[in-house]
Amino acid sequence: MSQASAAAAFIATLRRDLLISLKRRNDILNPFMFFIIVVSLFPIGVSPDSAMLRQIAAGVIWIAVLLASMLSMDGLYRSDYEDGTLEQLLLSSMPLYLLVFAKNIAHWLVSGLPVILVSPLLAYMLALPAEGYLTLVASLLLGTPVVGMLGSIAVALTVGLGSRGLILAVITVPMSVPVLIFGTLAVQNALAGGLPLGYLALLGAMLALTICLAPVATAAALRISVN
Amino acid sequence: MAGGWQWFHRLGSPKWFYEKTTRWLPWLWGAMALFLTVGLVWALLFLPEDYQQGHTSRILVVHVAVAGASLSFFPLMAVAGTVTLVWRMKLADMVARNAAPLGAWFSFLTLATGSIWGSVSWGTWWEWTDSRLVSMLFQFFLLLGVISLRAAIENTETAARACALLSIVGCINVVVIKYSVDWWNTLHQPSSPISMEVGSPNGPEFWVATVVMIVAVYLFLAVSLILATRNEILQRESGAQWVRELALEAG
Repeated sequence: MSQASAAAAFIATLRRDLLISLKRRNDILNPFMFFIIVVSLFPIGVSPDSAMLRQIAAGVIWIAVLLASMLSMDGLYRSDYEDGTLEQLLLSSMPLYLLVFAKNIAHWLVSGLPVILVSPLLAYMLALPAEGYLTLVASLLLGTPVVGMLGSIAVALTVGLGSRGLILAVITVPMSVPVLIFGTLAVQNALAGGLPLGYLALLGAMLALTICLAPVATAAALRISVN
Repeated sequence: MAGGWQWFHRLGSPKWFYEKTTRWLPWLWGAMALFLTVGLVWALLFLPEDYQQGHTSRILVVHVAVAGASLSFFPLMAVAGTVTLVWRMKLADMVARNAAPLGAWFSFLTLATGSIWGSVSWGTWWEWTDSRLVSMLFQFFLLLGVISLRAAIENTETAARACALLSIVGCINVVVIKYSVDWWNTLHQPSSPISMEVGSPNGPEFWVATVVMIVAVYLFLAVSLILATRNEILQRESGAQWVRELALEAG
């Protein structure tokens, strides 16, 4: 009984967040456009030479993904905080861990997934060799949820603040470093002709660990921020 | 049962901490002065020149000690944070609050002394392929994050608990960052095996000086943290009877 209702609460939260995102298209579109714009700046700023671009392609896409997710995460709990939904979620008898996790998944579906889907196109524009595509997409699929859930902790800690300024970036960027390292190493390994399963497995391990711990920390952070 | 925990609750009382540290501080100052003088004079004047690095090897005595101490801040803040979250102990938060800026300074000093040494020994001030430089840099950033989170939240109680949580998450993260950055092949030399033979590159005159310096730096850390925490206690408890009495005594 209680298990069934927990699942229902999970699905209801997921549905609600997806619906809200679909109604507010700008919130989805802005980070997406930002991602494309940032990537397109690199050939102009660094070098249009395709031999040079090939080397930095994976890193550029990963960094642009990180920056775009920081932009999209900023509003993750804000509107819920402002209209009182967040308080209702905290008061609900359902485990907050599950509700937070549902919100994280919804956010990833509308902000992470579109970026991943367009990344092969941008990789092509950055002259990434064909053998790197699959690994790039796989590493993004495993890595972006980790970044999203870690960022969710920082957003939850700062949700009630008027001016959070750089805090979100200062907290989230160092935490994302391991994902960035293994994401780019995996692609470089694939380009060198190797089979980057080891790096992808490490990203997968990070994802598993983050799923277990990050929503718990986010839930605790929300309880601290919303008194 | 209650008796067993009494010391723990007393530890949480700012007044008890203030009175105890008033008695401890002269000893700590003395010990720090002794170790710091011995360590520095030994390292700067008496340590023989390294056969490869020359005089620059003296920097290492300080660098190793500061680097070691700077690694202890996140565990310290995580433990203090746990105490804050579980027992709501004010003292733990006062310590954690002052540990963050101190930790940032230690990390900065580690990077600075390492760079100066590296500029001579490696021929470069900064080297991205070295894992310890990079992970120390990101520890520095994370500490700045804790400091700015503290500054942004006005309510002291909320700030205490938010920073406590961030310190615990950060502590786990620093470990993950360290191991993932280690994946890059590293330029930093592995810890040198110590040698008992006088005159050898890692001989006793070098590592004993380093040990003296490590003790000195930890004493310095303790003294700075205690002094800062005492200031914080006086500020936060300025309305309390015992603080007013203390102020009257001091004139």
